[in-house]
Amino acid sequence: MLHPTFKIFFLQDYPTKGTLHSIDPRVKLLSTLLFVILAVSTFEPKKLIFLLFSLIAISAILGLNLRRLFSRVWLFSLFSFVVVLPLLLQDPKYPFLFTLRVLIALISVQMLIMSSSFAEICSALRSLKVPEVFVQGLWLAYRYIIVVFQDIINILLARESRRVSKGSHMDLWKRGGESVGLFFLRSIERAERVQLAMASRGDKIFGARSKFGIMEIIYIALSLFIVLWCIVL
Amino acid sequence: MHIPDGYLDLNIAGLFLVLTLLVLGYSIYRLRGEKLTSLFGVLSAAIFAAQMLNWPIPGGTSAHFVGGALAGILLGPYGGCLAMAIVLTIQTLVFNDGGITAWGANVWNMAIVDVFIGYYVYRALSGFNRNLAAFIAGWLGITVAAIFAGIEIGLSSSFAYGLAVTVPVMGTWHAALGIIEGTITAGVVSYIATRRAELLEKKEVGKASFVLLAALIALSPVFAYLAESVGYSEPLENAAKILGLEENPIYEGLLPDYSIPGLDPYAGTLISGAVGVLIVLALAYAVRYARSNRKNA
Repeated sequence: MLHPTFKIFFLQDYPTKGTLHSIDPRVKLLSTLLFVILAVSTFEPKKLIFLLFSLIAISAILGLNLRRLFSRVWLFSLFSFVVVLPLLLQDPKYPFLFTLRVLIALISVQMLIMSSSFAEICSALRSLKVPEVFVQGLWLAYRYIIVVFQDIINILLARESRRVSKGSHMDLWKRGGESVGLFFLRSIERAERVQLAMASRGDKIFGARSKFGIMEIIYIALSLFIVLWCIVL
Repeated sequence: MHIPDGYLDLNIAGLFLVLTLLVLGYSIYRLRGEKLTSLFGVLSAAIFAAQMLNWPIPGGTSAHFVGGALAGILLGPYGGCLAMAIVLTIQTLVFNDGGITAWGANVWNMAIVDVFIGYYVYRALSGFNRNLAAFIAGWLGITVAAIFAGIEIGLSSSFAYGLAVTVPVMGTWHAALGIIEGTITAGVVSYIATRRAELLEKKEVGKASFVLLAALIALSPVFAYLAESVGYSEPLENAAKILGLEENPIYEGLLPDYSIPGLDPYAGTLISGAVGVLIVLALAYAVRYARSNRKNA
């Protein structure tokens, strides 16, 4: 059985799908990049606040679950705030503005991650001319993560079930090293088998994307509107 | 060690993105024609899974494995660099672990510096003792990668802490945590050596890779230049200034304080850096030449 968090991250089987899910991932990928660049290129409060509220509004209108969105970004934003908190006395505004930049960047990326499957992101990367070998490697790695996780869990379980005493840290490390060694060896052998299978049945793994529709055009217009407002503010 | 969005200045992020794309592009070029996609894919997944394991440390805490040096040892520097770049891209695009604008810097640190240093250190020392070589490769790879991360965020004006804070913090912590990285790398290499030793054989690497590594080292003067431009000074010099101590050198050296008397300080630092790199390369070449002569004899 997979842990629910694991399922959400890897299988991306969302309970509800909003409008944002139906937009072409190429458009979402490029707009995410634009939003992140905007966020990290300024310390002006009005620009950052405008960007934050714009992204929250888009997420809410286009059907993202805001509670889930914030549950994914609050922890690292808080961590960033704690890191720069000692500078509060030197410049009282800095820790808040720094954290706001990080928060906006995190929300931008989460908007992409929460509304696109990894296959769609790989397909978008391929359309954007990222080298085939890299995109195929990404897609294979993603698909095999669950399989190799199961493999390492099986190895660790087998070792644990054969263990009769608690043992010292040194024993634990020795057994751990052997387990990880065995795991890598099995992974290499699996990779060799997969390569043979790919060679015999062909290795095309992505479908082509359709052309842009009305939703893509609206989303591009919305993103450009935010970018231009951020620049002129 | 994953740098998130918002910590790096865009010019620093851009510089490392360009450098990373150059090295990744070259790695893909070197691997052209080889049917290795599944090897990168499945081994990237394996490295990802191995990173999830927490290793207990006496005192109740734990640390995790990064795997850059191991990837280099198993797949060679080009394949290892590509596999680690795949892992880091998945971490960025699935977990948001590491920023999109910081992707170039993160790949540079953990997929290029860690892998290439790990691979070459292992190759240089494995003739003496395989396990020790793997340990040093794992430890040094992660430590130098962390120092690079410290330099990148320390040079960024967005992150208010300077190099004097970021480099020691990143370097010291990872030098300690690197012991775990080195131990796991040595454990895995030792196990694989007893089962399938052919996987650890020397990978096909041309002279260009040496040039690549030299280019990596040659970047140091660029960092020095950038450090000057953000007003970085040595922590010891700061301490001396606070204590009111004055410098009283016995011997000035050929290039005093990384400068050339009478020359612009920035140009002097660049030239000093280049001279230093040439001296190190010459020494390394001399050692290699001496070793190959001894083997031939």
